[in-house]
Amino acid sequence: MNGSNAVLVDLTQCVGCGSCTVACKLWNGKPYDKGAPATGLHPVADHSNWTTLTQRKAEKDGAPAWRFVKAQCMHCEEPACVSSCMSKAMRKTEQGPVVYRPDLCAGCRYCMMACPFEVPKYEWGKVIPSVSKCQMCSTRLAHGRSPACTDACPTGALRFGRRQELLGIAHDKLKTGRYVNKVYGEREAGGTSWLYISDIPFGQLGFKANVTSESLPAIAEHYMRKTPALLLGGAALFMGLSKLIQRKKAVAAAEEGKREQ
Amino acid sequence: MSKSFDAKEKTTIDRRNMLKALVGGCATASLTGCLVREQEPGAKGWVPQQYDAPSNWPPQVRGRVPIDPENPSIVRDDRKCVLCGQCIEVCKKIQTIYGSYALPVKDDFICIHCGQCTLWCPTGAIAEADDRTRVLQALKDPTKVVIVQTAPSTRVGLGEEFGMPAGSWVEGKQVAALRRLGFSRVFDTNFTADLTIMEEGSELIERLTGKSEAPLPQLTSCCPGWVKFVEYYYPEWMPNLSTAKSPQQMLGAVLKTYYAKKTGIDPRTIFSVSVMPCTAKKFESARPEFNAAGRYWKNDGLRDIDAVLTVRELALLMKEAGLDFASLPEESYDSLLGEGSGAALIFGSTGGVMEAAVRTAYHAVTGQKAPALAFDLAPVRGLSGVKEASLDVPGHGKVCVAVAHGLHNARTLLDRVKAGTARYDFIEVMSCPGGCIGGGGMPRSSVPPADDVRRSRIRSLQVKDAAGTLRESHENQEIKELYRSFLGRPLSHLSHELLHTDYVSRAKHLKVDPKALEEILAGQVTEASRP
Repeated sequence: MNGSNAVLVDLTQCVGCGSCTVACKLWNGKPYDKGAPATGLHPVADHSNWTTLTQRKAEKDGAPAWRFVKAQCMHCEEPACVSSCMSKAMRKTEQGPVVYRPDLCAGCRYCMMACPFEVPKYEWGKVIPSVSKCQMCSTRLAHGRSPACTDACPTGALRFGRRQELLGIAHDKLKTGRYVNKVYGEREAGGTSWLYISDIPFGQLGFKANVTSESLPAIAEHYMRKTPALLLGGAALFMGLSKLIQRKKAVAAAEEGKREQ
Repeated sequence: MSKSFDAKEKTTIDRRNMLKALVGGCATASLTGCLVREQEPGAKGWVPQQYDAPSNWPPQVRGRVPIDPENPSIVRDDRKCVLCGQCIEVCKKIQTIYGSYALPVKDDFICIHCGQCTLWCPTGAIAEADDRTRVLQALKDPTKVVIVQTAPSTRVGLGEEFGMPAGSWVEGKQVAALRRLGFSRVFDTNFTADLTIMEEGSELIERLTGKSEAPLPQLTSCCPGWVKFVEYYYPEWMPNLSTAKSPQQMLGAVLKTYYAKKTGIDPRTIFSVSVMPCTAKKFESARPEFNAAGRYWKNDGLRDIDAVLTVRELALLMKEAGLDFASLPEESYDSLLGEGSGAALIFGSTGGVMEAAVRTAYHAVTGQKAPALAFDLAPVRGLSGVKEASLDVPGHGKVCVAVAHGLHNARTLLDRVKAGTARYDFIEVMSCPGGCIGGGGMPRSSVPPADDVRRSRIRSLQVKDAAGTLRESHENQEIKELYRSFLGRPLSHLSHELLHTDYVSRAKHLKVDPKALEEILAGQVTEASRP
């Protein structure tokens, strides 16, 4: 999957203009809700805010340092939502995006439970709701274009490209020493298509610190692959037990019959 | 069995069953998603093939400038933003703010509140922070005496909001409209523009004659955008800034002290509003130190200016109130703080403060009326970016002055002085191209703003100045009365208390990127620095 597309977010380059959130709404035709802003100190990630930009008043070397953190679907290399979906409504495309198909969705919301980044949101207000999340502009990618948000970023904080190349660029940048020595998304949840670098520890910027570096579907598979054996083994065990008990009963009945005679 | 052979009954049941099946089938189909046409995920809506994009995706996407959600002057409505990048265009190339600072940012959305972006934004997504509600509330409050002042430029802009040609002179109608909106006194910022000249001119003379230790060149301080710009980028020049407050703040201060005393109005009941061509005035009025009246009366809650309206907001208030602008009579300002000279009037245009200062400073040094040149100071008039003039002042010698408008030009001028290639005694800077008549609170008569609109407005001010008899600030009778009965003289102790201020360095909030700035000043940057 290393040939797939990705976006590198350089948090030091973001000035907080929020162009990405507007571009997302323009391209995807998402409505605005005054009660659920996509930017600011307390943005709301919901079914119509596929991407949010949070202003973080952090500190660096004892001085205040403001950073702006864009959040959207991380587009995992091996997505837990895809493996948890029973109806194949979630799919990882070859180009990188994890795409949701509302026409296939059964509405079970397992993807919402499975996602380590709490990304998929549900259209709770609708009669027939769908799950809703960033599609990484898969239709744009299909036509050789970059995602809308990266297209609109005026400072170059969002950089679109091949994952492998972007990882190289990210590590080159880390070598300058101006960054925290970590590419967030390189290993998180088995690697994601969105990668972040920052000069302030990710934990201080609201990133989830305890995301496993293992692929979540792999963890699940580790257990799930034992199911057939467990099932067959259990069946065999209980069949044997049943046979044993039946035989015991038959023997007991025969002996009882003898005594009565 | 026999029932099923009954033909009539069979038809009825079949029709009902068919309908049932139809409805049930459709419901099941739509619930299970069979009727939902498969859509491409992501983009929705009709896609014009030639653009290969949804119809609401703009043809050019360039991003936008950051705006603090808590910016006291300007706000942005995301629903209207089309990411056209016009705000970046003006903020970066004309005002040299966006892109001039190094990334990562420190702890500020660098903004001087000039509001030029509100004039360049083609969809009106960026606009002034709306203070109309607060003013309307005060107007409805019977315990408040709501007093308003109007800046020089407002009278050549307001008409445009009502379909009049650019630069139409509507001073009298504006006063009448404000009275009809319920303002109990209508005063003229021109009055304190004259007061500014008295204070700032006297300060200049002290600097020129060496009576004051403050350095030359003296920089004007009436433009709040420019002042914040110096505080951000040129803190070492802060001692050069005139300590005189802007006319807006001066009026606020004398209103709640001198005027309140003279008329016996309790200053706590005064709600002081100003109508400005400017969005930065909203920021200025909220600067914590601008409560001179509060300090005078020992009441910390007393602000000199309680609310600032742009010309556009005033027009909206008038439209909401259903005022018929055309049929309004011409009325004049209330007295005590209502008289203004022609010198004060041209404050609204680039070079105007300079020309006004020259007229009065010349008189103060020589005791004579300034020569005719000072009443049509051609070298500092017009829309050239950086203008300079020199004047022989008998008894002193040659005085060199320079004028810049738009902060790109201001940087050019300051850097020239810094490099020692030019020497001036007095420098006037206005943040907005053309001066206040091109301010961020003026009507959007052309988007982006055009020089012919700016020229029409300037001409209108200059024609009225030339036609008037009172053309020097020191001849203003109400100013004379103010000094006689209250302040004493320019730069007196009380003047310092009420009419002068100091500045605070904001350099720690940003790190200038010299290379990027150089590129911007060289005009080489056409696109944002994209990867």
